[in-house]
Amino acid sequence: METASPQNATVEEEQAACEYLTFRLGDEEYAIDILKVQEIRGYEPPTTIAYAPPFIKGVINLRGIIVPIVDLRIKFGLGTVEYTPFTVVIILNVAQRVIGIVVDSVSDVTMLTRSQIRPAPDFSASFDTKYIQGLASIEKRMLIVTDIERLMTSRDMELLDEAAAS
Amino acid sequence: MTIDMSQFYQVFFEETAEHLAAMESLLLGLDVGAPDDEDLNAIFRAAHSIKGSSGTFGFSDLAEVTHVLENLLDRIRKHELPLRNDMVDAFLAAGDTLKDMLAAHQGAAAVEASVVGDVCARLKALTGGSAVAVQGASQAVAEPQPAAGATGAAGASDLPSYDIEFLPTLEAAADHQALPNLLQELGSLGALDILQQPATDEPGPWRLRLVTSQPQEAFADLIDFVSERDAWRVQPTTPALAETDEAFGLFEPVVADDSFGFFEPLPEAQTPSSAGIGASQPVLIGEQGDGYGFFEPVEASTPEAPANAGSVAEEGDGFGFFEPVPAPVVEATAPAPSADAAPPTVVPTTATAAPTPRETRAKPAAVAGEAASIRVSVERADQLINLVGELVITQAMLLQCATQMGDAAPEALSNGLAQLERNTRGLQEAVMSIRMMPISFVFSRFPRVVRDLSSKLGKQVELKMSGESTELDKGLIERIADPLTHLIRNSLDHGIELPEQRIAAGKPASGTITLKAAHQGGNIVIEVGDDGAGLNRQRILAKARERGFQVSDQMSDGDVWGLIFEAGFSTAEVVTDVSGRGVGMDVVRRNIQSMGGRIEIESMQGIGTRMTVRLPLTLAILDGMSIAVGEHIYILPLSYVIESLQAEPGDIRTLSNQARVIQVRGEYLPVVSLHELFSIPGAETDFSKGILIVIDADGAKAALFVDALVGQHQVVIKSLEQNYRRVSGISGATIMGDGRVALILDVSAVIESARTAQQAIAVAATAQAI
Repeated sequence: METASPQNATVEEEQAACEYLTFRLGDEEYAIDILKVQEIRGYEPPTTIAYAPPFIKGVINLRGIIVPIVDLRIKFGLGTVEYTPFTVVIILNVAQRVIGIVVDSVSDVTMLTRSQIRPAPDFSASFDTKYIQGLASIEKRMLIVTDIERLMTSRDMELLDEAAAS
Repeated sequence: MTIDMSQFYQVFFEETAEHLAAMESLLLGLDVGAPDDEDLNAIFRAAHSIKGSSGTFGFSDLAEVTHVLENLLDRIRKHELPLRNDMVDAFLAAGDTLKDMLAAHQGAAAVEASVVGDVCARLKALTGGSAVAVQGASQAVAEPQPAAGATGAAGASDLPSYDIEFLPTLEAAADHQALPNLLQELGSLGALDILQQPATDEPGPWRLRLVTSQPQEAFADLIDFVSERDAWRVQPTTPALAETDEAFGLFEPVVADDSFGFFEPLPEAQTPSSAGIGASQPVLIGEQGDGYGFFEPVEASTPEAPANAGSVAEEGDGFGFFEPVPAPVVEATAPAPSADAAPPTVVPTTATAAPTPRETRAKPAAVAGEAASIRVSVERADQLINLVGELVITQAMLLQCATQMGDAAPEALSNGLAQLERNTRGLQEAVMSIRMMPISFVFSRFPRVVRDLSSKLGKQVELKMSGESTELDKGLIERIADPLTHLIRNSLDHGIELPEQRIAAGKPASGTITLKAAHQGGNIVIEVGDDGAGLNRQRILAKARERGFQVSDQMSDGDVWGLIFEAGFSTAEVVTDVSGRGVGMDVVRRNIQSMGGRIEIESMQGIGTRMTVRLPLTLAILDGMSIAVGEHIYILPLSYVIESLQAEPGDIRTLSNQARVIQVRGEYLPVVSLHELFSIPGAETDFSKGILIVIDADGAKAALFVDALVGQHQVVIKSLEQNYRRVSGISGATIMGDGRVALILDVSAVIESARTAQQAIAVAATAQAI
């Protein structure tokens, strides 16, 4: 093992798999680094906050911590925005903050190697490609691998103070 | 085995900072003309402890400065040198340098070597300058003195001698100063023979023989500085010691049951003992009495030393234990302790009798101090507070469940819940009190500020403080320091006049600044008052006009004084480096407001000024009133609420058909409708159906329109910014009994928004009119 050549190392790196949590937003399937996920819980009506954009639903009490809830379906205009007992909130732990995101459903946890993630084509859509790390296909599914930390701390999400976001 | 010292650094930093603070406050409290011995000793002990622990932890730069400081202190303490003002200044400067050096070790910018050198030189000049004089003075009485010095030759048979073996630590061996210093210090205690010495710069064991009248404790800690705890040994050798042992043998039963109680029977016991021991003993005692009469009781412990010296060393609390002892160590470096040497006929009995009670008194205090407090990191305390906050919420949830069950709830359950409520409340109070600290932590720095500044400004000022023991939250203590410092500097600079002016005005030449703290309801009130010139209404108004503020001569005094808190406002005729740049007071007010407090000014020309700061006791809990708007519950901090009232139809008038006002007790107040401000759907819009709450922040009032008042609770404040961002009009969040989040209103911002809204309307109206 110690004598592994650099070439081998890159191959290993290519093979090194990370676990990704996949979830659905409308017809699209997204994958985020599972290490950023703190927990998954059911939706409970949050306390709304004044002057917040529509996709920020408000804040909830997560065992004594005040956690903002973002509805990604509203943010990206995907899926049907309705809140049922089956609506899922993914609690993320990004940039030393705890943030909840509402998604249609959580699918599963998938291993993806770096070689499986292909760069996404450049296109200007509502969903800024700079938050997309790449696309991965497993069988017939296409997973949009997202840099959730970058997305959540972006100015678009309006979750951070201007000073912190810049 | 070497211990990783770095794990103790934090404790060292804290302790040293405390010692420095104690030293400073004692120095400032000293009456230069007639210093209290007890205070001088305390200052010396503080310096000595710093020196000791910095040596132990390897901060040799700190140890060096304190060593010089200690030398001078010691001579003053022993009345060899009179205390002078310039010495106090030098001590304070040294204290500041030490603080900076300490900060440097904690990662701040390094202190320049020249600064350290200057301080040391200054102290040395003060120490050495008068040494000559003392030497001269002591020449006359020096005759008995050489006896102690020459013990190696002549008095060896009378004095105990000790074999000292030690293995220096690597650091000490590498330090070219450490060992020569040690040898010098030991040599000054008595006759020192070096029996064995390793080659230069080589680590190796040392063997020394010391013949001294000093007790073993006096030099044991010196050795401890350069050697690991288990790597040194001191053994008494001469028969003289055995003799002593025998001679004092009659105290032994007392020793057995309490080693400190040992001293108590001494005064009475002394007489029979010295009478009974025979010729040799009085010589010993008499000789010691000559040189070191003051330390007699320690002497008496010599026979006991072999028995407990080992345990002392192991105890690890070396500095505490040795506190009364180090004096002889340093004393010995002075050529002749003239004060004590001057009356060589000191009767041993009286010399022992005096210090004895002090000895017995000091020890239990030290022990009690150790047991009475423990050091806990702030994070741990905060964690505890958070957990208790959770517990309070859970308890409220349970209680709500039980209430919903009504009569169906079993009695045992409701009883248990009632008890739980009491206990959680008690627990919460107890935990909150952990964060409470006396305000003296802030006040203690002001004597220094006043002293420095008054001499700089050529003013005579006395600072009177009261209520230093008033407690408030640690977080607030830290944040109140700067604003208070500013207020005091301001009083000194602008308030108190120069002595000539004061005398001309018929006031005593020396001005007084009073600093008071007291609890008032759920608030702490801090007053900074001076008997100076007072605020000048005309000048403030003139200045305000000059700066383009909207003012009129009809303004009330309160409003005029309020102008000095506006940004860019200063009435100082001369801009000094102290104040007058006009950046201070607005910052002061902003800081105080950000703590949820407010500041008021009262002033009378020629009489003085008083600034009153009101702060909540804690930042973690707030007395709140819950109000309902639509489906939402908001918390309104109770301290801002003045009254609530229900408006009759027609009470509310409009301005320009947009801004609404209501007349309450003769005052027209702007009406702020919370549902409009926060765009809350489903709220009550009929003013006669909802309720109006009159709120007041910094004198600005408004009537807040809400649907209903729900109740009054203590709420635990949670940060909204931790995971989200600042929201205008909201200062934080809390968790209600049902587990839901309620937002806490930022009253100042709410009133401000009402004002700006009105201004916008007014501007629009004038624009239309034109």
